[in-house]
Amino acid sequence: MSDSGAGMVSWVLNGDPVESPAGMTILEAAKAHGAELPHFCYHPGLSIAGNCRICLVETNRSPKPAISCSERISDGLEVQTHSEKAVEAREGVMEFQLINHPLDCPVCDKAGECTLQDYSFDHGPDESRFVEKKNIRHTKDLGPTIKIWGNRCIVCTRCIRFCDEISGTGELCVVARGDRSVVDVFPGIPIDNPLAGNVVDICPVGALISKDFMFQSRVWNNEHTETVCGGCARGCNVTVETNEGFVKRLMPRENTDVNDWWMCDFGRYGWRYAHDDRRVSVPRRGAEAVETELEAHRDLGELVRGAWGGSKKVAIVVDPFLTCEEAHLVGRVAAGTGATVGGWLPPSGDELTFPGKFKISGEKCPNRRGVEAVLGQEVFGSQAKAVESMLNSGGVDLVIVFAGFPNADCPDALASAVGKATARVAFTLFDGAWSEAADLVLPSASVFEKEGTYVNEDGRLQRVRSKDRPGDAQLAQPGLHSASISSPWVTSELVALQRALVHVGDAERSLSAAGVFRQLADSNEHFKGQSHRGIPATGVPLGGLAPAGVGEGSES
Amino acid sequence: MSFEPILTKYRHEKDSHTIDFYRGHGGYEQAKKAIHDWAPDDLIEEVKKSNLRGRGGAGFPTGVKWSFVPKQTDKPKYLAVNADESEPGTFKDRVIMETDPHLLLEGIMISCWAVGINTAYIYIRGEMVHGYNQLVSACKEAYAAGFLGKGIFGSDFELDVTVHRGAGAYICGEETGMLTSLEGERGQPKLKPPFPAIEGLFGCPTVVNNVETLANLPFILEKGADHFRSIGPEKSPGPKLFCVSGHVEKPGTYELPMGVNLLTLINEHCGGVWKGRKLKAVIPGGSSAHVLHADECDVNMDIESLAAGGSMLGSAGVIVMDETTDMVDALLNIMKFYHHESCGQCTPCREGTGWLEKIVHRLHQGRGRKEDLDVVFDVCDRMIGKTICVLADAAAFPAMSFIDKFRDEFLAKCTNSDRSTAQATSGAGGVNV
Repeated sequence: MSDSGAGMVSWVLNGDPVESPAGMTILEAAKAHGAELPHFCYHPGLSIAGNCRICLVETNRSPKPAISCSERISDGLEVQTHSEKAVEAREGVMEFQLINHPLDCPVCDKAGECTLQDYSFDHGPDESRFVEKKNIRHTKDLGPTIKIWGNRCIVCTRCIRFCDEISGTGELCVVARGDRSVVDVFPGIPIDNPLAGNVVDICPVGALISKDFMFQSRVWNNEHTETVCGGCARGCNVTVETNEGFVKRLMPRENTDVNDWWMCDFGRYGWRYAHDDRRVSVPRRGAEAVETELEAHRDLGELVRGAWGGSKKVAIVVDPFLTCEEAHLVGRVAAGTGATVGGWLPPSGDELTFPGKFKISGEKCPNRRGVEAVLGQEVFGSQAKAVESMLNSGGVDLVIVFAGFPNADCPDALASAVGKATARVAFTLFDGAWSEAADLVLPSASVFEKEGTYVNEDGRLQRVRSKDRPGDAQLAQPGLHSASISSPWVTSELVALQRALVHVGDAERSLSAAGVFRQLADSNEHFKGQSHRGIPATGVPLGGLAPAGVGEGSES
Repeated sequence: MSFEPILTKYRHEKDSHTIDFYRGHGGYEQAKKAIHDWAPDDLIEEVKKSNLRGRGGAGFPTGVKWSFVPKQTDKPKYLAVNADESEPGTFKDRVIMETDPHLLLEGIMISCWAVGINTAYIYIRGEMVHGYNQLVSACKEAYAAGFLGKGIFGSDFELDVTVHRGAGAYICGEETGMLTSLEGERGQPKLKPPFPAIEGLFGCPTVVNNVETLANLPFILEKGADHFRSIGPEKSPGPKLFCVSGHVEKPGTYELPMGVNLLTLINEHCGGVWKGRKLKAVIPGGSSAHVLHADECDVNMDIESLAAGGSMLGSAGVIVMDETTDMVDALLNIMKFYHHESCGQCTPCREGTGWLEKIVHRLHQGRGRKEDLDVVFDVCDRMIGKTICVLADAAAFPAMSFIDKFRDEFLAKCTNSDRSTAQATSGAGGVNV
């Protein structure tokens, strides 16, 4: 005890003397020492409610058991998490939680990721002593995206605190009292805020259900891919859950430097475009489908080879949905052909900052800063103007357009300008004026199909991953035609560009995203010293880029 | 020695609620004396010395509670007067507020002067419409007379009093529940610590005192702490209002010295058990207290004696039950109350109060099983001391003591041995929407 350092507290956890930083709660400090205590109402991102009582532990401070989520550690505190008293208290709470619970796990969407299930397994009774009738509470819509199964609600108030503290919208409340109490909205005011979906994630039981995910899949069948959201420049860390190749839902991933534990509904429900029937999934020459993707890529390679060495006038229009690796490959094509590169951004939206500090960026694309870091700061500025006037003045031999926009049209002026080039290639997610004018149309990959890196608005380098890793899989078997296998995924720009470069002879073989990133790290000062493997799950601030806006701010 | 009422001296006088009457009988002199002659710290010491203990139920020493409020603070300090008297069997604060509201106001002035408070809220139970009207008109009179507002008695002391009506929840009588309700939130208790004295109403230091507690203050100042301590037992002195209800000839509110014998109270003051029947049981301190068997009723009504006797003084709501009382029925009544009033915040209380009611309901219907009594005890064990406030304990105490002390009556209701029969016939609670 005497040697405890400044700001450290010496206390005893289950008989072992331990030290933790002062001010921590028992629950947090015990977790740091490997003793995970059960909790329903506690959430690290929310205020402490202390109402579920499952985290009760025995201490030497009081004859009553203490709730570890709110009790703070102090010198000399002795905590027993598995004494008879603590176990009895926990089992008591668990029995109470279950008496009125419908136990409808077989039809509950939360089953498999439900804390009530987990703790019931750990601390619950084998058999119920409750022979009375169970209470019935309402099942109803709370808003356009959320439904409540009141019978399952354990009134932990996480969702209510979220709406009060994080979104600041306060739509939810507890109605009625005692064992009739249940979460509800005020009459006529549905829960309909841009962060509403988070209340479903933080619901420890299956009371709040996302209508988008309802009955879509059993969670244990889902495959999880840790990636970032492509909805805006914030780059929220998410887990994409897929089942048999289809996206089922997006869940936020904890990253206290970016999105804490949350994500917005635009990102959360914004995945449907990836499975839209109208998506361009097969390469075309004009209106006619190309038989194999390899053939289309050879066409691209042929066009690039024709322009190689600077003999032709070439323009490349990029989009801010390209990964840094893809932008690097665009840079190589531009260097070989002497092309002028410019790009356009989707229309900006409202920037929203919430009381809980969560932010939705007004920039509705994930990688402007990454593309700028690779292709030049003016790629979406003066270079874009240069490309446009070059196209309008005519005489451009080859134009390559990247239009990976999930839901934005390109400016009409640019579309008509593209039409004036002699040879026109368009990578696109959806058909538009630019692809109708193109001789060669290639599918763009959505953010769910890309492997690589994005740089968010704060200059944070984060990895984008794809469940099926089309880049790697198809590189390994170059003969395969993606359209001929059952995967709904399309081949990314990363593959197409590398195949073109191999065709030209500029590259020996295609590399994985990590391999291309290595080239980028070798050649670009911003990425120096980085490697795919070295990027932590929560990303890393990029040298010279983070934090964003400091340069602009100091000028004015 | 006959005892002269102190707090309810004028309750039967005409116009006892008016300021003219009150001043005519020496009213507001003690508040004036406090503001002119007493340094706040000395006043707190005097109240500590008097050993006045909170009359709301917990019996915490009032002066000690006041001394927890920080002296130096940037925040405003508040007094929240707990007038939400909702404990079944309790109707003492109501008498004070209806018949002598200025006594309460004077007590408020003295406590606010002692603690350095400029804003007081009276949180009155919503159903007490008459008491509310009396208080509001008393406040108007006091403002008009310059006893409230700015520059009281020529000093620079100012005090504002607001009367706020509750909306009918028992839990808003719990001090932190009352504060959240005053703040405009759903009335439910808050985690302690922080205690209200440090972080109470609107996050500011707050004194929470019961009406009867405050009503004692003018008397303490008038006669001195020593005189106050000479009334009743050493450890919990002073006059006390006892609310007697149930099977007695003369139910009502009786002011007697603390420590009066329970049987004396029932037999001498209340005219004995009604209709010449025999005493069966008494709940001595509001429905939350352990019930006393008739054999246990030779006990003094003060905090220590009742604690030693296995119950508590609580709010001094004495509920008398005669020999014809069906104890299962009586317990069901109490269980219904706690089930209805649990705020639903903490799991053990939310689920436990409902479970208890359902079991007792089933027993009452004659569909009990022997093991039900063990389940009741287990459920109570799992509720006591596991929640934010003591409502869970308050529900568990009567359940345990009723079954413990009148087990035969409960066993007589346990005719079912079959789990499935119990389940099939259970109608208790049923659908609650």
